[in-house]
Amino acid sequence: MEVSLEAINKSFGSVRVLKDVSLHFPSRKFVTLLGPSGCGKTTLLRMIAGLETVDSGLIRFGDKVVNQLAPRDRNIAMVFQSYALYPQMSVRQNLAYGLRVRGTPKAARAEAVERVARILEIENLLERRPAQLSGGQRQRVALGRAMVRKPDIFLMDEPLSNLDARLRITMRAELRRFHLDLGATTVYVTHDQLEAMTMSDHVAVMNSGMVQQFGTPAEVYGRPANLFVAGFIGSPPMNLMPGRIEAENGVPVFANEQSRVPLRHLTQRLQVGQHVVLGARPQDLHLASSTDEASAHGRVWVVELVGSEKLVDIDLGGKRRIAVQVRADAHVREDDPVHVRIDPAQVHVFDASTERRVFEAA
Amino acid sequence: MMSWDFLWRHTGRAVIFVTLCGLTFVVCFPLVWALSTSLKPKTEIFATPPTLIPKAPTFENYAALVTGRQQYFQSGGQQVDTGATPAQFFTRWFLNSLVVTLGSTLISIVVSTLAAYSLTRFRYWGRTFVPYFSLLGYMVPSIIFVFPLFLMMVRLELTDTLLSLVLGYVSITLPFCMWLMWAFMRSIPIEIEEAALVDGATRMQVFRDVVLPTALPGIIAAAIFAMIVSWNDYLFGRVFLNSLDNLTLTVGVMLFFEGTHVDWGLLMAACVLMTVPMAFLFMGLQRHLVAGFGAGAVKG
Repeated sequence: MEVSLEAINKSFGSVRVLKDVSLHFPSRKFVTLLGPSGCGKTTLLRMIAGLETVDSGLIRFGDKVVNQLAPRDRNIAMVFQSYALYPQMSVRQNLAYGLRVRGTPKAARAEAVERVARILEIENLLERRPAQLSGGQRQRVALGRAMVRKPDIFLMDEPLSNLDARLRITMRAELRRFHLDLGATTVYVTHDQLEAMTMSDHVAVMNSGMVQQFGTPAEVYGRPANLFVAGFIGSPPMNLMPGRIEAENGVPVFANEQSRVPLRHLTQRLQVGQHVVLGARPQDLHLASSTDEASAHGRVWVVELVGSEKLVDIDLGGKRRIAVQVRADAHVREDDPVHVRIDPAQVHVFDASTERRVFEAA
Repeated sequence: MMSWDFLWRHTGRAVIFVTLCGLTFVVCFPLVWALSTSLKPKTEIFATPPTLIPKAPTFENYAALVTGRQQYFQSGGQQVDTGATPAQFFTRWFLNSLVVTLGSTLISIVVSTLAAYSLTRFRYWGRTFVPYFSLLGYMVPSIIFVFPLFLMMVRLELTDTLLSLVLGYVSITLPFCMWLMWAFMRSIPIEIEEAALVDGATRMQVFRDVVLPTALPGIIAAAIFAMIVSWNDYLFGRVFLNSLDNLTLTVGVMLFFEGTHVDWGLLMAACVLMTVPMAFLFMGLQRHLVAGFGAGAVKG
C-alpha cells in the first residue's frame, strides 16, 4: 500500500508544526522520517495513524483519502516509543487484543499469536505480564502486537530509543528483516541518523516542520540538498566553511582566509563574488605531505582515536577548525603543523543566502 | 562493649516501637472494649473490677439485634416503656445503610470515572479548572450544605426517603471522587489507549478493556472513600429522615441512648456490627490500592 501526503499543515495553538509537507511513500518500502526533536516527524506519523487531525492537506492510502477515517479503519499497526503494552493483560492477551476486537474467531486468534510468538521467539513469555518483561522483551511484544494483524502499513515511533546500545544494533537488523518478511509499507520515525541510514529504502529528512530532503540514504548522504541536511547527516559531522567565489584563469575558486579550493566542475553554476559554504566530510579530507598539493594549512589541535580511525581536529587559525579522519596508524601528534588536501570532486557547495546545494550541471 | 552507634540505633528503634504500640493501643482500645462489652451478660457489664475478657461470653446481645426481639430490651430488671424499641429496627436500619451507601457509592463512582476520563482526554473549555473547583467544594464543611440541600429535598418531595440521602451523599462524595479519579487518570499513559485505538477498538472498548482495568486501584480508592463517608454520616441522616422505618444505622443507634435506660451491651453490639462491614471491606480491598498500578505499561 503506497502512502501519499499532499500539502499537509498542522498547528498546535499558534505553533505551526508542519508546513506544506508533501511526500510519497512507495508501496512495501521502508521509509524513515528523520530529524531533530520537535521537527514534526512524530506528529506526521500520528496523522498517518489517525491519532491526530489534519488541519489541511490530504493523506491517501493507495487512491483512498483517509483523512476522516478512524485509526481502526485504516488497517495500520503502530509500535510506540514507550511500547504502550496493556499492563493488566498477559503477553498472549496483548498480542491477541487487536484480533479480538475485530472479531477474529478464537482458534484463528490463538494460531496467529503462536505464529508471531514463534517468529519473535517469545513463546515462553506468553503468560507473563508486561511488568515482568525486560525492555527488549517488551519491545518484541510491541512488535508482535503490530505484526499479528498483517497490516497494510506499519508505523514505528522511535521503537529502539529505550533499548541499550547493543540491543539496538541487533534490533536494527531484525526490524529490517521483519519489514522484508511482512511486505507492508513501513514508516519509521527516528532522530538517530544511523538507524535511518542502515534500515531505510528512503529517508525524509525533516526540520522545523518541513521536509528538507527526500531520497535514498545514499542520496541524502552523498548529495545533501541543503546546509541543514549536510550538517545533520554523517558522523563525524561534515566540515562547513564559509567563503567567497573568486576567479582564477576562468575557473571559480572557493576562497577564505584559511583555504583555497578550485571548483572546476561548477564553472557554469557559480558567480564571482558569490557567498558560499563549502562542505567536506572528514572522511573525504586527507593530510598532505607537501605544501603544493594542499588547500589548507594548520596545526593539529587534538587527536581522537575512534577504533580503526583517528579523528584529527586541525586549527586553521582565525578560530576555524576542521576535522580530518585518518587511519589509526597514521603518525599525527598534537601541535604538529599539517597540510590538508581537499579534493574538489568530494566537496559540497551551498549558496550562503539560500542555504541550498549548488548542483553540478546535469 | 557496645558502641554508641549500636546503642543509638537500638534505642531509636525501641522508642519508635513503644510509640507505635502506644498509638495502636489508643486507637484499638475503644474497639476492643466495645467488642468485650457486647459479649458480656448484663450482670458483668458493670462488674468491678472490670473484665476485658468476658467470664461468661454470650451472644444474646447480637441475637437480640439480629432477630429484633422486643422482650429482651425490657428484661434486665427494669420495666421500660413498651412499644417500638431500637433493637426491633436494627436489621431494617442496617439494610437502609447498606442501600444508601451502595447507591451513593455506585453513582459517585460511575459519574466521577466518566467525568475524569472526559476531563483528562478531551479538549474543551474549563477542563483545567473544574477539578480544582470540585475540591474546593469538599473543603466547605457539610453542615453548610445540609440545610440548602434539605430545602431542595422538600421542594422535590423527597424528604424522609432513602433517595434523598443517596443524593445528599453523592453531592459530598462526588466532587472528591472526581478529583481523585482525575488525578489518577492523568497518570495513565495515553499511548496505551492509542495503541488500543490503532489495534481496532472503539472508544467504548478502549474505555472498558484498557482504561477501566488500569484505573481500578483509583476506582477502589474512590469507592472506599465514598462508602466510608456515606456509611459513617450522621448529619444528613439526622436532618433528612424522620420515620423510624427509614433511619440509617448511625442515626438509629443514637436512639439506644434515649430514655432513662441505656442497654450498653446492646449498644456495643450494634456498634460492633456497624464497624465490621467497613473493616472487612477495607482489609479486603487495600491490597488492590497499590498492587500493579500501571506497572510495565510503558518504558523499562
